Amino acid sequence: MNGWIGRCLRINLTQGKHHIEEIDPKLLEKFLGGRGLGVKAFVDEVAPQVDPFSPENKLVFTSGPLVGTGAITGASCNVITKSALTGGLVCAKMRGHFGAELKFAGFDMLIIEGKAEIPVIISILDDKVKLIPALEYWGRTTVETEELFKKNLGDPWSARETYVASIGPAGERLLPLANLVNDRFLPVGGAGIGAVMGSKNLKAIAVRGRHSLQVADGNRFMQVVTTLINKLNSAPLTQSMSQTGTAFLVGLCYQKGILPQNNFRRAPLPLRNIGTEALNSGFALRSRGCFACPIACIKKADVKHPAYEGKGMAPTYLAIGSLGVNCGITDLATIGMASMMCGEMGLDPVAAGGALATIMELVEKKVITPEELKIDLRFGNGEAMVEALRLMATKKGYARRLGQGGQALAEEFGRPEIFMGVKNLPLAPFDPRAIQGMGLHFATCNYGPHHLYAYTFIDELLNVHENLEPTELEGKPLLVKRYQDTTAVMDSLGLCNWPLMGLKFNNYVPMVNSCLGTSYKADDLLFIGERIWNLEKGFNMRAGFDASHDTLPDRFTKEPIPDGPAEGQISRIEEMIPEYYHLRGWNEQGEPLPETLRAFDLEVG
Amino acid sequence: MPRIKIDHTKCTGCRHCETACSLNHVANTVNPRRSRVRVMRDGNRYYPVIAGPFVDAACTSKHYIVIGEQTYDMCAFCRASCPEKPYFIEAETGIPLKCDFCGIPPSPSCVRWCNSGALELVED
Repeated sequence: MNGWIGRCLRINLTQGKHHIEEIDPKLLEKFLGGRGLGVKAFVDEVAPQVDPFSPENKLVFTSGPLVGTGAITGASCNVITKSALTGGLVCAKMRGHFGAELKFAGFDMLIIEGKAEIPVIISILDDKVKLIPALEYWGRTTVETEELFKKNLGDPWSARETYVASIGPAGERLLPLANLVNDRFLPVGGAGIGAVMGSKNLKAIAVRGRHSLQVADGNRFMQVVTTLINKLNSAPLTQSMSQTGTAFLVGLCYQKGILPQNNFRRAPLPLRNIGTEALNSGFALRSRGCFACPIACIKKADVKHPAYEGKGMAPTYLAIGSLGVNCGITDLATIGMASMMCGEMGLDPVAAGGALATIMELVEKKVITPEELKIDLRFGNGEAMVEALRLMATKKGYARRLGQGGQALAEEFGRPEIFMGVKNLPLAPFDPRAIQGMGLHFATCNYGPHHLYAYTFIDELLNVHENLEPTELEGKPLLVKRYQDTTAVMDSLGLCNWPLMGLKFNNYVPMVNSCLGTSYKADDLLFIGERIWNLEKGFNMRAGFDASHDTLPDRFTKEPIPDGPAEGQISRIEEMIPEYYHLRGWNEQGEPLPETLRAFDLEVG
Repeated sequence: MPRIKIDHTKCTGCRHCETACSLNHVANTVNPRRSRVRVMRDGNRYYPVIAGPFVDAACTSKHYIVIGEQTYDMCAFCRASCPEKPYFIEAETGIPLKCDFCGIPPSPSCVRWCNSGALELVED
């Protein structure tokens, strides 16, 4: 097969056995691979009511058909499971080289089921699948785990080609906020996965492969990829992304009043020390790329910064927003430290930042005192925040409460309205009052309010393909639906979504066809994306989500933004949701109509 | 004579050169292990290494390389397809691999796909 391999590795941790299955080509045609295939396999095999921590829950790792073929930005590996945080599906996008190496190891999909008796590491090295006892790794940080595993391989050559995804202390202690870390990158949107891995006593997965991938028309494929690289080079936004990573968004979001401060209560004061200039002058940036990525947006701070000692990652937009400004912290070095702490401990920065912002507001409202917490968590206290992240992950002291997540905290103190999140997941740092389309997406997204399942800001804020005002409602439901479907299909192909800032979705179609030997048109692919979205929606509905979860906290719909460029705006999602449901072919309760499901060839009921 | 100039400070470790090379040399096939350029990694740094012939002279003149504050074993960046390491050797046939600049005139596919500027074709 071209692009696809057509094999799935299934590992049962309870029995300690594994076997290889063929994947039905019809499924690949219908769901493409990656996120689509993974969600399909998960939905078919796992009951929606299952407890995330029970052995019946499964972990699915899937790499799309374009991953590893050299298709630009074809690197993303999707991790799908039932989230310990939201109780619904979670689909994390793993960056780096893990996904490509999984393909070279000869698998499109890896399904992990059951629960090991003792901590184990799954090692898939050159066709040998083994479960290695991991007692000596348990309790270590993600970076230590990776280093120790490579050292234990004994051969520096093969260690260099091995890629490891592991959980940190947070995942081992079953914190719902835990994430996994591969190649020292945090997968985005993975809150809830670390704890599921921890509950299976699975510390890490290591892969290395030597198989070849086939491409349908190599010459044409090489030409198309070269053209796309040149196109990306002439796009100004992907150039900024190359230079400073996603942090270039900070300034733009700030100008439009989208960047939130102090738990979404006000717009930040002028940011002199946090934008791209500060990043450039404070850190010598060194780019790191995921597999086959011409942009390389991940930045290492390869300098002797006192806080970093030459090992840290430069803060991204997510870190600056969630762990920084929204917690009142405007010092890049502290934000970088917090982000690094999240990586080492295996905490999701958005989820952890949301929990911290919640507790900081509780402190400010005097619902809880810093003495009770035994840690001085206030808006703007960076040192305490970094310490709280460490204590949270190691579950020490009073900070252990924090690890349960913002929603649980706010409810514990009887103030659920303080938690700024949807479906238990805190909002990514975009104020939905100032960017209406993103607000609609946050409310309706199957996975919780995360921008990475619909990059609507590309059109709303950056005006790349369409010229839309962030605060207008006109055309937003259609925009949200289109981006949600586009993202679903890009994830299924295994492509990163950020290049959409420089390329149209149509530009990808020749690359897909020359690689896979298919004759898709852009609309065919988007149709598959919509099918995937409906499939995910169906599972979440059976897991207990309904229209009442498609909403935003009252702060966004009732309290106008008090200051800044978007002063006076509120989120008007109620006006948009009916049109959105209608466009999706759903009824007023947000349930897919039987004819919609039939049109997508999905099971009705 | 054309050469490929390597600037390791620019390399992002994306390995796009590896896929380009194997696609260009083995019809319709991608496999980094069959590529004649490999990206080696040491800590935070990446070093693209382009395959060359294995000659004894390279080993007898072996010494240590100091970059920044760190000392490296020369083997780590050696371009020879030598029997001591698993790089630059076709696994199935055991044939050593060597960069051929993708034909005449030279238009190396790795340079075409390298977007970071780490690989560059120069005349000297």
